Amino acid sequence: MGLEPHLNKAMTVTIRPLGMLKTYIGELKEISVEAGLSVRETLHLIGINPDLVAGVFVNEELKTKDYILQDGDIVKLLAVIGGG
Amino acid sequence: MNGYGGSILRVNLTDGKLTKEPTPAQLAKDFIGGRGFGAYFLFKEVPKGADPLGQENKLIISTGPLSGMLAPGGGKCDWTTKSPLTGGYADASMGGHFTAELKYAGLDSIILEGVSPTPVYLFIETDKILLLDASSLWGKGAIDVEVELKHKYGEEYQVAAIGPGGENQVLYACINHDFGRQAGRGGVGAVMGSKKLKAIVLHGTKSVPVADLEGYRKAGMALYKACKDAEGLAEWSRYGTTIVTTWCNEVGALPTRNFSAGSFELADNINGQAMRNEIVITDKGCFGCPSPCGKYSNMKRYNTQVEGPEYETIGLMGSNLGIGDIQAVAEANRLADDLGIDTISAGSCIGWAMECYEKGILTKADTDGLELKFGNIDAVFALIKKIAYREGKIGNLLALGVKRAAQQVGKGSEKFAIQVKGMEQSAYATHNATAMLLAYMTCDVGAHHNRSWAITYDLQVGRDKVVPEKVARVIWLQNFRPMFDVMGSCRLQWVELGIDRDLYCPLLEAITGVKRSWQDLEAVGNRIWNLTRMYWVRENDSFGREWDLPAQRFYTDPPKTGATAGQITKFEDVQRLLDMYYDQRGWDTNGLPTQGTLETLNLTTLVT
Amino acid sequence: MRLYADSAKCSGCRACLVACSLNLFQESNPKKASLNLIPHFPNPGVYEMKVCTQCGDCAAVCPTEAIKINERGAYYVEFGECDLCEACVPECPEDVMFVRTELANTAWKCDLCGDCVSVCGTSALWIAN
Repeated sequence: MGLEPHLNKAMTVTIRPLGMLKTYIGELKEISVEAGLSVRETLHLIGINPDLVAGVFVNEELKTKDYILQDGDIVKLLAVIGGG
Repeated sequence: MNGYGGSILRVNLTDGKLTKEPTPAQLAKDFIGGRGFGAYFLFKEVPKGADPLGQENKLIISTGPLSGMLAPGGGKCDWTTKSPLTGGYADASMGGHFTAELKYAGLDSIILEGVSPTPVYLFIETDKILLLDASSLWGKGAIDVEVELKHKYGEEYQVAAIGPGGENQVLYACINHDFGRQAGRGGVGAVMGSKKLKAIVLHGTKSVPVADLEGYRKAGMALYKACKDAEGLAEWSRYGTTIVTTWCNEVGALPTRNFSAGSFELADNINGQAMRNEIVITDKGCFGCPSPCGKYSNMKRYNTQVEGPEYETIGLMGSNLGIGDIQAVAEANRLADDLGIDTISAGSCIGWAMECYEKGILTKADTDGLELKFGNIDAVFALIKKIAYREGKIGNLLALGVKRAAQQVGKGSEKFAIQVKGMEQSAYATHNATAMLLAYMTCDVGAHHNRSWAITYDLQVGRDKVVPEKVARVIWLQNFRPMFDVMGSCRLQWVELGIDRDLYCPLLEAITGVKRSWQDLEAVGNRIWNLTRMYWVRENDSFGREWDLPAQRFYTDPPKTGATAGQITKFEDVQRLLDMYYDQRGWDTNGLPTQGTLETLNLTTLVT
Repeated sequence: MRLYADSAKCSGCRACLVACSLNLFQESNPKKASLNLIPHFPNPGVYEMKVCTQCGDCAAVCPTEAIKINERGAYYVEFGECDLCEACVPECPEDVMFVRTELANTAWKCDLCGDCVSVCGTSALWIAN
């Protein structure tokens, strides 16, 4: 077995919508995505409007939507909230 | 009466008379409490044409059936008055522990009437009620006053106080409580200052009767469990309302440089993460709250502390002023709180003044030498003080609020006074978000977001769309959200944690003995909405569609930068929104409730 | 078993006090609760919590033996047997032995019901050995 380039390797990422977002996109989703995709691109892929997502927590850490997802990441999506 | 303190306290500050009357059962049935009581007493008892800063205006503080109870967020009281800023209806919702103490003191409303000849404070110790000399407190900042009164009477005593801003009747002066909470908007602090009432000290030891003790405990515990089980509780509690800062910047809603744009290049320096990294020390919550949004901060640079800044202040005193420095925003917040002026209105007035200065409409001769360029932190600190003390030309000008200031200065500055009905717009830029724009246009205190927060709906449905569904959404939110203010509770547990709102119904029923569904509650909400609309109609002969128009910037001035660059709402769409809104509300084409609507709502007797 | 409090997590909401008074007295009256919540504001800006550690020092000095042990293994005050002598109050190392005659004609203390833990949204309270 030679060293083959792992191009377009499929990864598993868990997307967990929180709070009000559940009413827009339903419950927990485990999906396969291509490596190298950002949170924003992944959201588009699964039909979630990134504009509806206020906060992105990847493995409990707050990240921006430009973060590139890694295999096994658990992504919590916080719905947009009501301000002060 | 189950769920209620039991009495209305009238304080006549002119002659010092203090009277208590039992809370009328019919009032509790029809208006429930909180904002409902405030709207009722304002309409009934403040005569038409009353001077907001004179003898005839009243300041009505009301608690609700959920206040002080085993209810998540049961810590809000409502302050209602005729607004010196707008000339119309105003109410402000204050958190902390004041509302709970009112219930334990056996009170549902305090009605402050008349004007005291000398500065006084109101002391309430359950049944011992006194007006005491406040001459040694007059002139002091609100924080110092709270420290002094708690030291004098005890930590258990709850204090609400005005600062120099209220004493000097700055038209958007606020009232402070619990070292960081305010009755913020509409100039409620100016009314308190005009009455020469410096503070209220409150202590109560009674219990609140409930209709069904076991049902109450069960329903309360169920609500707490729902909050604790809510996914996102930890994330929300960590950041509070500041969590929305980055998102607002991304979607062009973050007010930047006097709302000339909706994105700010330094937004990352003033968001929730920046706050937690640099200044936050304690998550601080109001009475009964399982999801504390308050972020108590320590600013090392200035050696000061403040509860905040929350999102509104980050917007209006940060990005709106071109300031990308969280410690500076926090210190501006502290100054405004201590001196007792609303951070939203003050931030908007200062932003307007900065745009005037950069355009040459105001010069150093007008600004007492201050260089009012966007981003000038020292000028902001100096201006907050000048406003609170009404010092100099610029202090006196900005103390009037942005609408009057722009009218005085003229030279086209009215075009960028960001206000509706005389109240400065809060922190959502609405160049291209028609539901949120409509929310600001039709909010019943002026341009405030608390009634109807619809901007997510804009992004879901299409931000520039002008469709009946958006209007229906705004109306539903306006009938529903303020019911929390009526029940004496915070709405953010529902808004932010996404708990099932039906959980509130068995709690309300077990406490009061009266069964109410959300349909019933929204009907009360709709009734109150029409009552406050009729208040504006009564007090302003010319009241109508013109008063609902948005700030001109949002239909004439597309941003040059940021997420909404080049986007703007068309004026004909503004008119279409109003047409649909009036139609769905049962109002005529000028925005006045029709006779038929008033009859259906059983309001004709009250409003004639 | 006893109650524990992490003051750093306390947000000062007092939900624990309401739940406690409801358990002890069937009333919504946080002044009749058996935890002590002490705010330190404006500086440094933190809340301090004190809770009963079940040390038993109160029971040891009670002349009427009104402080007994309940089914949870916790010390509690049998209301009818307290004569308000207040011998217990200074003995408590956490200041959570309460006598306030304007509120109740008995001393009161934590009986480890756990309701405070159920309503604490910041998980500042828990019960353990």
